[in-house]
Amino acid sequence: MDSLGLLLDGFTAALTPVNLLYALIGVTLGTFVGVLPGIGPAMTVALLLPVTFNVPPASAFIMFAGIYYGGMYGGSTTSILLNTPGESASMITALEGNKMARRGRAAQALATAAIGSFIAGTIATLLLALAAPVIAEVAISFGPADYFALAVLAFTAVSSVLSRSVVRGLASLGLGLVIGLIGIDQQTGQARLTLGIPQLLDGIDVVIVAVGLFAVGEVLYVASRLRHDSPDVVPVGRAFMDRSDWGRSWRPWLRGTALGFPFGALPGGGAEIPTFLSYTLERRLARGRAREEFGKGAIEGVAGPEAANNAAAAGTLVPLLTLGLPTSATAAILLAAFQQYGLQPGPQLFDHNPDLVWGLLASLFVGNAMLLVLNLPLAPAWARVLHIPRPYLYAGIVTFAALGAYALSASWVDLIVLYILGLLGYAMRRFGLPIAPAVIGMILGPMAEIQLRRALAIGAGDVTVLVSSPVAIVFLSLSLLALVLPLVRRLVRR
Amino acid sequence: MPDRELNDPQARREGGGPGWRNPELVLAAAVLGLGAFVIIGTAGVTTASSALGLGPRFFPFLVGGAMIAVGVCYVIDVLRGGHGDPEQSEDIDTRTPADLRTVAIVSAIFLGFAVTVDVLGWITGSALLFFGLAVTLGARRRIRAAAIAIALAVGTHLLFVEGLGVTLPGGLLAGVI
Repeated sequence: MDSLGLLLDGFTAALTPVNLLYALIGVTLGTFVGVLPGIGPAMTVALLLPVTFNVPPASAFIMFAGIYYGGMYGGSTTSILLNTPGESASMITALEGNKMARRGRAAQALATAAIGSFIAGTIATLLLALAAPVIAEVAISFGPADYFALAVLAFTAVSSVLSRSVVRGLASLGLGLVIGLIGIDQQTGQARLTLGIPQLLDGIDVVIVAVGLFAVGEVLYVASRLRHDSPDVVPVGRAFMDRSDWGRSWRPWLRGTALGFPFGALPGGGAEIPTFLSYTLERRLARGRAREEFGKGAIEGVAGPEAANNAAAAGTLVPLLTLGLPTSATAAILLAAFQQYGLQPGPQLFDHNPDLVWGLLASLFVGNAMLLVLNLPLAPAWARVLHIPRPYLYAGIVTFAALGAYALSASWVDLIVLYILGLLGYAMRRFGLPIAPAVIGMILGPMAEIQLRRALAIGAGDVTVLVSSPVAIVFLSLSLLALVLPLVRRLVRR
Repeated sequence: MPDRELNDPQARREGGGPGWRNPELVLAAAVLGLGAFVIIGTAGVTTASSALGLGPRFFPFLVGGAMIAVGVCYVIDVLRGGHGDPEQSEDIDTRTPADLRTVAIVSAIFLGFAVTVDVLGWITGSALLFFGLAVTLGARRRIRAAAIAIALAVGTHLLFVEGLGVTLPGGLLAGVI
């Protein structure tokens, strides 16, 4: 196996003391920020992006791998110990997890989440390491029209899947595409939509967009309707499981992994659908004691969705690394991190920067193992984090958001842009527009434009060039399906 | 097209209501307006007359057109009584009406920070930002809030300027640090 050999090389890079230290910093920061209420994985990655500004690329990605997986772990701790609905991907975990915690089984809920995440993460990362080179091989023959069709598929899928209302998903996507248009056109050097503000010529940096929409938007939203009662955190000791918990957990872990990985890899898949499917599946398969416990805190209902969640996180990296295609908001921010270092993920990345890719994949394994070691004994410490008084928490989030935006180019104009995007993020939350399509549209939009123009240049202006390859036809048909299906479903229901 | 009723404070009141009284209409109209803006705003971009006719205006035209279409559907959806679900989050109480006064104060503090940070410097500016926001969001013990604000400001300065080599303005304290 060639890729296993390359993976071993990756391990030698990831296991140097310096890189191990970066991985440790990454998982610790990722878990800490991920545990904070109101902060999902995407915001965790966005807020911590500035920390890696001056770190060499290989180490930065190792740190990022840690932050990415750490943010996932942290999110599940929050949803188990805090009895309030959180962001969508970990909401399913809260269904059974929080009820387990209320019944005095918080330690077991956290343990099955942590161990399940570890197992799912490890299997899924292995699948990623095996699948990625194969897909990269196929993708190398993709032409501009295929890439454009792929981008269109990502746009439509993410807009229609993540929102109950397609029109709201598309509105969010459009807002992101417009933000992506701002600045100098890469091919002709013409300024577009800059309103004559010189600071906008380079476009709006993705850190500002992500931190604005996620962090500042969230704080404004929280400010508008903050809970004033003190947080209700379930106390917990060291996370552990007994024999029967293991017996009840291992099958859901594997089933969750099997659901999570492929869904994560699909455009618009994300973690929401597989966690939900895993929950439904476990509930249906439950027999005996588990059947009685479902709805009151069944361990299967935590084990499956948590495994699905982490497997999906690894699955998302398949299209990201092999095609340069982000399928979730978090992946979009990771893509931006790559671009910051002048790297374009895609089939060429495996040829041009094998050290970096395989080092990154190896460090995903390392980070995953570190998280397990870190999280089982440290559960009580993370539970304390949940007690941070909310005024300080949200004031701190804004301070860090401002720091991230300001550190880019020390320009106050960036802070104003950050605030405007925050207002937009507030409005989107208030009216139920999903944020992910906007972030994906902003980052993928410019790429889609370049590929479209290239394709049409090849076809000498003939638009049928866009549907001249079977790959492009399949992708575009699927896009159409993603838009039409919800409409059909609504008509049928009536 | 929605009319000027939108600026009427009555129409923007919490809870929405049917059709044109729903505050979501503002957002829907903004999507529509932004689509038009993209097309008009890029109309002035001089097209470098390439032989293939695909200048910098083509893609914005597509995006703008699509946004107008989506915006029209969105406005119709809102007028017909459709509404999105406010996002859930750990610290959000979706049952209470929006407290727009706090949002306004938070906004004022942030914008104040944005325009003064170059002069005040990171440490002074961010300490004031943190303190102001914490008190606005309900921190009762002001001395503690101030202490945390100063510690955070100095800490981030040390971490980013000394540790990570990022440039932040010294401002008022430029000579001291």
